[in-house]
Amino acid sequence: MTTPLTLTPARRADGTPVLNAAGEIDMSNSADLASAVTSALGDSGGPLIVDLTEVEYLDSAGLSILLSYADRIEVIATPLLGPVLTICGLTDLTTVRGLDPADPADPAS
Amino acid sequence: MSDGGPTGPVEDAGSGPVAAGADVFFVDGEVGRDLAVVDWAATPLGPPEGWPQSLRTAVSILLSSRFSMWMAWGPELTFFCNAAYRRDTLGRKYPWALGRPAHEVWAEIWDDIGPRIGTVLTTGEATWDEALLLFLERSGYPEESYHTFSYSPLRDDAGAVVGMLCVVSEETERVIGERRMATLRDLGSDPSVVRTEQEMLAFAGRQLGGNLRDLPFTLVYLFGDEGSARLAAATGIGAGHPAAPATVPVDDAGGVWPAAALARGESALVALDGAPFTGLPAGGWPEPPAHALVVPLLQQGSAPYGFLVAALNRYRPLDEGYRGFIELAAGHVAAGIASARSYQAQQRRAEELAELDRAKTAFFSNISHEFRTPLTLIMGPVDELRGRLGAADPQVREELEVIRRNGLRLGKLVNTLLDFSRIEAGRMRARYEPVDLAAVTAELASVFRSAIEKAGLDFTVDCVPLPEPVYVDRSMWEKVVFNLLSNALKFTFDGSIRVRVGVEDDHAVVMVADTGIGVPAQEIPRLFERFHRIEKARSRSNEGSGIGLALVRELVGLHGGTIGAASAEGRGTTFTVRLPFGHAHLPSDALIAGDATATVPATADPFLHEALRWLPSDSRDDGAAPPASEEVGHGTGEETAGGLPGRGMPARVLVADDNADMREYLTRLLRGAGHEVTAVEDGQAALEAARADAPDLVVSDVMMPRLDGLQLVAALREDPRTASVPVLLLSARAGQEASIEGLEAGADDYLVKPFSAAELLARVRANVELARLRNHHARWRTALVESLQEAFFVCDEQGAVVEINAAFTEILGFDAEGLPYAPIHPWWPDAEDDPEAHRLVAEAFAGVVSEERGIYTVPVTHRDGHRMWISVAFNQVQDLDTGQRATVGTFRDVTAEHYAIQRETAVAALSLRLSQAASLDQALTGALEEVRALWRAGRALAVVFPGAGGAPVVTATGGDVAWEALTEQHRAALAGLREGPSLAPATNAAGTAAGVGLEHPHGPMVLWLDLDGHRPFTGQDQTLLSLLAGHLAQGLVRAHQIDQQRETAIALQRSILGPADLPEGFAVRYEPAARPLEVGGDWYDTVPLQDGRIGIVVGDCVGRGLQAATVMGQLRSACRALLLQDPQPDQVLTALDHFAAGVPGAMCTTVFCGILDPQTGHLAYSSAGHPPGIVVYPDGALHLLEGGRSAPLAVRPGSARPYAGHVLPARATLLLYTDGLVERRRRPLTEGIGMAGEAVQEGRDTGIDVLASQVMTRLAPAGGYDDDVALLLYRHPAPLEMTFPAEATQLAPVRRALRSWLTKCDLPPQMVQNVLVAAGEACANAIEHGHRDAPGDVVYMRAEALVDRMRLTITDSGRWKTPEPEANAHRGRGFALMRAMMQHVTVTPGPDGTTVDMQTRIA
Repeated sequence: MTTPLTLTPARRADGTPVLNAAGEIDMSNSADLASAVTSALGDSGGPLIVDLTEVEYLDSAGLSILLSYADRIEVIATPLLGPVLTICGLTDLTTVRGLDPADPADPAS
Repeated sequence: MSDGGPTGPVEDAGSGPVAAGADVFFVDGEVGRDLAVVDWAATPLGPPEGWPQSLRTAVSILLSSRFSMWMAWGPELTFFCNAAYRRDTLGRKYPWALGRPAHEVWAEIWDDIGPRIGTVLTTGEATWDEALLLFLERSGYPEESYHTFSYSPLRDDAGAVVGMLCVVSEETERVIGERRMATLRDLGSDPSVVRTEQEMLAFAGRQLGGNLRDLPFTLVYLFGDEGSARLAAATGIGAGHPAAPATVPVDDAGGVWPAAALARGESALVALDGAPFTGLPAGGWPEPPAHALVVPLLQQGSAPYGFLVAALNRYRPLDEGYRGFIELAAGHVAAGIASARSYQAQQRRAEELAELDRAKTAFFSNISHEFRTPLTLIMGPVDELRGRLGAADPQVREELEVIRRNGLRLGKLVNTLLDFSRIEAGRMRARYEPVDLAAVTAELASVFRSAIEKAGLDFTVDCVPLPEPVYVDRSMWEKVVFNLLSNALKFTFDGSIRVRVGVEDDHAVVMVADTGIGVPAQEIPRLFERFHRIEKARSRSNEGSGIGLALVRELVGLHGGTIGAASAEGRGTTFTVRLPFGHAHLPSDALIAGDATATVPATADPFLHEALRWLPSDSRDDGAAPPASEEVGHGTGEETAGGLPGRGMPARVLVADDNADMREYLTRLLRGAGHEVTAVEDGQAALEAARADAPDLVVSDVMMPRLDGLQLVAALREDPRTASVPVLLLSARAGQEASIEGLEAGADDYLVKPFSAAELLARVRANVELARLRNHHARWRTALVESLQEAFFVCDEQGAVVEINAAFTEILGFDAEGLPYAPIHPWWPDAEDDPEAHRLVAEAFAGVVSEERGIYTVPVTHRDGHRMWISVAFNQVQDLDTGQRATVGTFRDVTAEHYAIQRETAVAALSLRLSQAASLDQALTGALEEVRALWRAGRALAVVFPGAGGAPVVTATGGDVAWEALTEQHRAALAGLREGPSLAPATNAAGTAAGVGLEHPHGPMVLWLDLDGHRPFTGQDQTLLSLLAGHLAQGLVRAHQIDQQRETAIALQRSILGPADLPEGFAVRYEPAARPLEVGGDWYDTVPLQDGRIGIVVGDCVGRGLQAATVMGQLRSACRALLLQDPQPDQVLTALDHFAAGVPGAMCTTVFCGILDPQTGHLAYSSAGHPPGIVVYPDGALHLLEGGRSAPLAVRPGSARPYAGHVLPARATLLLYTDGLVERRRRPLTEGIGMAGEAVQEGRDTGIDVLASQVMTRLAPAGGYDDDVALLLYRHPAPLEMTFPAEATQLAPVRRALRSWLTKCDLPPQMVQNVLVAAGEACANAIEHGHRDAPGDVVYMRAEALVDRMRLTITDSGRWKTPEPEANAHRGRGFALMRAMMQHVTVTPGPDGTTVDMQTRIA
């Protein structure tokens, strides 16, 4: 039984590419995330907005992917994922929004 | 398989094509698969697609049930069963049985079950059978098995009965377990009554013979000295049977039983085929046994006593339990033999001691006989002399009185001893006559009135007439009354003595009560013992043999009566004699008619004389000596009459007078009277002459030159050489004052001139006589003191010993030459070497100096250094000459008595300790403490050397030490003692340690004492140590037996209780009552129900022992079945009411029945009079499950029972128990419940199993539980345990399960997320290892919620590498995440895998 994960590429009104992820990300499907980010980025240098608002679980395998693209992506997440994103250092490398419950994620998403 | 016969099916059911409609079977993957391939078309049921809905439903219920069931359907009763039934009951008949007619499947038991099934089919009513014996052939042989089952009807779609469903639980283990336990319990049922070996074997035989099922026949052989074993007992088999020969040779390999192997302590399994074994009895079975197990009757530390042949039940396998049962039975027999043999040895010893006592009495009475003749020859002439000299010299009379009094006393003692020997030999010729006991007793008591009143005591005699006569032997009764009264007088110094006669409980009661010194409580039991005297008791006299009260008891016993004593120290003693009325209790040939004319008997004399002599002399009136002057006057008269000093010896008289005429007159006069006279001119000359050669008398004038008469007297008195020379002063001065002056100066007499010649001679003679008498008295006193057997001494006011006798020197070694001995006396024990002994003497000495009189027993040191004990009696007296206070005392050597008492006390104390011990360890530690205290040793050690090279086990006072921690020297000394003979004490050269070897049940033991070395360890000490060691060894054997019996009982009870596999989250305990060792009727049970819920039962049957255990077993089985049938607690208890009403002993059982949903924590429960369950919340708050309560079982059968519900919040703990846990005497139940709640609260940080042990330990009373206790704990939610293959695809489902479980734990969302991440990382690691090292291996995860902690454990089969971030960046990150999410992370790599343990605190 694989881990449920839906990855949907989209674009904002301003043309910024967005990758909407919903479900759980672990060792069994982190490769799917990698290929989805690669294809959403295409040839552009970014930034790609990776929206993790609907992600309920994210482990070190998923974090590794995000870290490897850190200079070309921005991340929107929820307070629930705050500790893992902070501990792995992603918040120091790129913009991560939505971690503070008082400051909701970018309404543009 | 009708042609297969009872030997069982072996053919395979085949694997034909799966029938259409077989989806009905897919509920179960195991049995369903095999059912699907049955050729249903060949059965009356036809292919499954054609089955009616009712059959399909029945099959589906059957297959989905986890409880053991089978069913039969249709005209041939076609057989179905589920997986549980296959596992528990069907055995090798699977899968052959599926689809077969039921009568073929169970051909071998069809006679039993066929009619029952028939009843169900015809009446439509269900059956119920409890533990029915069935011989199943599921394992290749007919097997004894027991089943509790219910057949209920199955109906087709039309409602007609076409089949039946059987719900069954197999109870073979329980039934057989109970049966074996009953035998073992019976075997050990009365260990306190030790029998002879023969009786013991007969008793054991009756118990073994009572269980012909497990033991079709048994034989007990005991090894003899002659190289063969003899048949000592047999059960279930005649003694003449060839398999039971009277003897079995040990060395002959051809013997019926392999005696040689057994002599070596080995067991043997013997096949019972061949010649000697034909025609064996079958025991409780249709067929004779096929095998016998022969086990040795082991003896501690020695070759076996013999062996037990136990024929085996051919219908059960010889498994560990069976073998264990036989070995335990053999153990009981062996223990019984050991106990009987040791009892015999003790009996022999007791007889020897009794013989010694008889010999002692015989010895005394023999000498007494020898005394009687000389006594008669003394008393006769003395009485004659008294008559003849009645009017003669009072001095002679006085001395005759002394002789007579002591003669009477000696005669009394002799008579008492003779009475004893007569009673003992049965030669006491009693003559019982009916008397008015009140009158007789009052008359006897009155004899003592004057003596008692003279002693200043009140004497009350309160003897109301009794309703009917009492038969007594008058002479015996006199001795009883006189002894009691004389005893009372002896020990009463003020207050009163009271004699009362009355009626109580149809007995005549005579009480003699005093207000004397009383008897210490610990002495009362020995009060009536022969030759027993209470040490240090203050009494009017130190005389007495300690035999009077013993005689009284014997005499009262001869009257069919009893005597008892009640006493309070310092307040008095009351002796109560109870005699039955009438004469039915007396031998008819000893009865005589009453004689109304009773007189006070002659036996009163010795008692009275003795008593009177205890009283102070100023209250004496019996023959007190008249003043000496009278005697002189008397003599004067005689002389006047006779004219010559007939009796007077010539005296040497010194005359001093300055008047020559007077000098000559006196000289002439005195010489004329026969005296030898020296005359001098003045006092000075007289003094010089007297000093040179003391005369018998000085006659001196008062008025003289140089030294006058008064000065002369003073000078003479000052010089010891002349101090006692009598002086007669002559003076011309008349008048009272002058004479007083002379006498005050120390003159003995005074004569006023002029005096007549006769008067002078008379005075001279009187004074000479008086002086001689005085000298005689002094000599007599010296002789008397010297002749005393007891040591005699006089102390002056400062405590210095100034006079001693020969016995003193003989006893202590110090002679008169060393006098005076000033304190501290040289015989005092050294204050440094033996401070305790020194203290005793110092205390006694303080008493000797300060008290008026007393008795002390103290340790002293003989001049040659050896330790002895003396009993000192002393009195203070006033020295008449000096006016100083002095102390006169005597003592005797009581060393032997002291050590005998010390030994008896020590043995008694040790025995008490041993008898109180509930286990072997307790017995040993208690005994060590006792021994240590006895010798005031620094430490006492016991070292046990177990066999087979095990390390020696050390037990020590003041904390145990390891064998290795002892010095090498010490170890060598201990090992040496172990090698030496047992019970032979030894000491080291320095005297700083003593040890002795003895037998401990676990092997040879050495008892070791570290002494302070100040006090020598004497031969007496060695004897005592040896004696105590012997007692200790016996006590340890007894304690060991108790231990074994306890272990057996607990093991068996627990094997009945089960269940072996508890659902997760539960912990249970059972503890039998500690003393007396008994299992009882408490139980707990958990029953997994079909829908995932769990039935929980805790119950408590009334009573103890096997009866209660049996009732418990039945109720437990019934409750289980009822829970499975209808899982509602109130319904279960209502149905159980009906069941209990039919089981004797089940009434008033209390039960708590609950049904727990482990998913939600919801608990539905009902309580039949059971103490409330306790729920402890995570915050420590308590909640009692007090709803759903009604009466205990079977009290009101038929009435509905209530139920209640309660939701256990996450991390709450549920405690159910029986009242033994919380109920204590004199304490409200609520207090115990509160304590149990506290214990659970405090253990909320521990796992449930550890907590169960903690609660049991914490609530146990000091001496162990006095009622049995069952306990059940559950913490919600139960820990989560998962095992999954090491594959990445497993991560999501594992996470889902964990998330769901964490939700049940009621944690904040972020914490749930953190735990999920940490667990996910650990699982991912495990999966990676699994892939790398052993693909396909499994990962194990366990999550447990404690009250304030969460604990996760993930175990895989791989090896972790130290995180290497550059090699695998995200793994290293994973490890960092785990550490960040949880508070403690521990990685433990092992050879078979790695365990990650993570914990975090729940806020």
